[in-house]
Amino acid sequence: MVFNSLHFLWFFVVVYAAYRVLPHRAQNWLLLVASYYFYASWDWRFLGLLVASTIVDFSCALALDRAASPARRRLLLAASLGFNLTMLGFFKYFNFFADNLHGLAGSLGWHLDFVTLHVLLPVGISFYTFVTMSYVIDVYRREIPPTRKLVDFAVFVAYFPHLVAGPILRASRLLPQITLPRTVTRAQIRDGLWLIAWGFFQKIFVADNLAAVVTQVFDASAHPSGVNVLLGAYAFAFQIYGDFAGYSNIARGTSKLMGIELVENFRFPYFVRSATEFWRHWHISLSTWLRDYLYIPLGGSRGTPSRTRRNLMITMVLGGLWHGAAWTFVLWGVYHGLLLIGYRAADRSRGVHAWITSPAALARLTSWAVMFHLTCYGWLIFRARSAGQLAEMSGSLLTRFAPATVDVSAVLLPLVLYTAPLLAVHAVEAWYDDLLVVPRLPAGVRYSLYAATFYLTMLFGNFGGAEFIYFQF
Amino acid sequence: MELRRGRAARFALGAAIVAVQFAIFEIGMRTWGSSEAAPAFQGLFADDPTIGYRLKPGARVRFTTAEFDTTIAVNHSGLRDDQELGPKPPGERRILILGDSLVLAVQVPFAQTFGEVLEQRLNRPPAAHRYRVINAGVQGYGPVEELLLLRSIIGAVQPDLVIDTLFVGNDAEEAVTSEPRLSGERPAAAALRDSFAARLRRLVRRSMVLQVLRLRLSQATGRLSFSAAPPEAPLQSYAARPAPRIARGLAITRDAVQAMIAASVAAGARSAVVLMPARFQVDAADYGRLRQAVAESGGELVRDAATVRFQEALTGLDAPVLDPLPALRAALPGPDLFFQQTVHLTPRGHEIVAEALERFLQASGLIDPPGGR
Repeated sequence: MVFNSLHFLWFFVVVYAAYRVLPHRAQNWLLLVASYYFYASWDWRFLGLLVASTIVDFSCALALDRAASPARRRLLLAASLGFNLTMLGFFKYFNFFADNLHGLAGSLGWHLDFVTLHVLLPVGISFYTFVTMSYVIDVYRREIPPTRKLVDFAVFVAYFPHLVAGPILRASRLLPQITLPRTVTRAQIRDGLWLIAWGFFQKIFVADNLAAVVTQVFDASAHPSGVNVLLGAYAFAFQIYGDFAGYSNIARGTSKLMGIELVENFRFPYFVRSATEFWRHWHISLSTWLRDYLYIPLGGSRGTPSRTRRNLMITMVLGGLWHGAAWTFVLWGVYHGLLLIGYRAADRSRGVHAWITSPAALARLTSWAVMFHLTCYGWLIFRARSAGQLAEMSGSLLTRFAPATVDVSAVLLPLVLYTAPLLAVHAVEAWYDDLLVVPRLPAGVRYSLYAATFYLTMLFGNFGGAEFIYFQF
Repeated sequence: MELRRGRAARFALGAAIVAVQFAIFEIGMRTWGSSEAAPAFQGLFADDPTIGYRLKPGARVRFTTAEFDTTIAVNHSGLRDDQELGPKPPGERRILILGDSLVLAVQVPFAQTFGEVLEQRLNRPPAAHRYRVINAGVQGYGPVEELLLLRSIIGAVQPDLVIDTLFVGNDAEEAVTSEPRLSGERPAAAALRDSFAARLRRLVRRSMVLQVLRLRLSQATGRLSFSAAPPEAPLQSYAARPAPRIARGLAITRDAVQAMIAASVAAGARSAVVLMPARFQVDAADYGRLRQAVAESGGELVRDAATVRFQEALTGLDAPVLDPLPALRAALPGPDLFFQQTVHLTPRGHEIVAEALERFLQASGLIDPPGGR
């Protein structure tokens, strides 16, 4: 069941109607049943994994709270992390490692005769395992007390708006909202409805329409020229942004309607001027998770510069691998690791630092343009079907740019038409530095934006019901 | 009081903004849009007291979408052709092709329609005669309209061969709707023209914005239905258990084709029938999607049921029947035979149909073999 389906609309209408009339404890039971139904509608067979993960981590957290000896606490933490990582590793990475091992052995002339398993990827597994792991780690660190109500914890893990594609929530933020009674304010309803409408616009109007442009470039039988590769990379940058930010906004919007506040997951990621800033604005819930549970425990930036570089690279490579079991994702992680290391090194040089942070228009424009194009090249790595295609496209960018070959009707025009309204609204939001400024604008401007969002989505949206890209992660 | 006045003012402001933006989008879509609701495209048609509507003599329209860009010229006889009909010269053999949008084929240039490709193939040296293939396809026609059109133009066209192209996907349905025209009555829909609902429908049809919104609404209501709905009208001919009106439509189609054969014989022409398949009968992926959608709504889709039903309905008539489905399937894998956003043939699809039609006409003895008799 995807958000952009009528199945979800019915589901949410029924759940919401019941939610508004039930008392707090019954609301939590309702959310649990609804969330399990939501997940089972993808593939009921994987519901057992979700339940198992919930029970194991709930029990480990309670045991951690009772355990006094550090050794026993470490053992419990290792048991929880081991369970989650084994589950994630098996379902998400088994095929990848088996195929690569097989290929490597074959290239060395060895014949490995092991069983080939066709392991299916349970939807959302990367998200909910990270959610439960962060909970157990936080309990281990004594940053939060464990919850003693299994239902509340199960709702925290399976809460349907964020279950299959995030944001990756922290217990410290979400659990109190589940355990304590909730009220729904008028402002939450107003903001929630706008976030839902805007999320649908980002998904149906921007992302799903740009998908055709991206396919035109990345799946073309002939090698596209450099200018079309560049436009294809721009298109994919906005497609993946519209897709993922759209999902996050719908998740936040539906949660607001139920009186639950989720974290912002994107904050103008294409308006930033450095790699460090990018990761503070793109998929914020994942980047902060990686920072708090991987980068800092590895030592963060507290050691020598070379150790910091190593930590950055490990974090980004694993962050890349989190997106999927493919070498292009690993390469994408390495690329962003290098960008972070490069910007960090450049930051020490006073001239570059001044350029990146200067309020002068020219410095802002050039530093933004450089970072935006570096980001887009990262998306080229991410979207490429193979290393060969990446090499071919990189070659086109450098040696066969051929501006005259620009495909105006199939690439340039749709790219401009489908991104211009998005950028216009983001420009207003960025000006006020507020992602929820639209519902607070003067009535005339606000109504104009509501009406334009409605008309553009309904008249020009792609209603094919395409899945969200991040479901596969 | 103050609060109520404030709310009323905000409501008025909101309504004004919605109306102004509606006008902006309507103007924009009419100017740059390419839907069949566009006034330019609607300019292809003129009212006809007997048939309801037909192609407007002398009309010339450019039709552009993401998939194609064509100019459609209608001659002064009201037929899609870049030449006037004129009197039949000695030695010319005329083949008249009746049908709906699959024959009119606004998606491809005139020279690439299967009728024109057939004409080019038949006139390759050593041709027995000079052949002229005349396209009498009109968007939205069914067997009843095709019969009425034939009666009105057969004298002027003087065909040697009349080919009726039936679209097995919806012609049975359309035959039922249009049956009253055979007795000079207006179909039920036309009789309702003055009702409020009909006026609203006409208003919606005139607005491109409302057309798209209506489409979204019907998609939504169709999918929101809790009941196990039968397959929608265009798919009823393929249902394992079709509605009774399909059998009725097939009977009307048989009568209409029989009347066409009689009219052709009276004019000294022979007849044939082509059964055009729906895209999903050729495209397996398309079929898979539709079959699943129909199954989800409680129905069962049988891929070639409509073709078989039409073949059975036309059995015993004095007109050989061509089913181009095997030829279209044999052309796969290869370049697309149908457009993605419409269910109409691509130039490649037209080429395959023209080749199949030429072989069929020769095998049936409806045209002389190359070199002549």
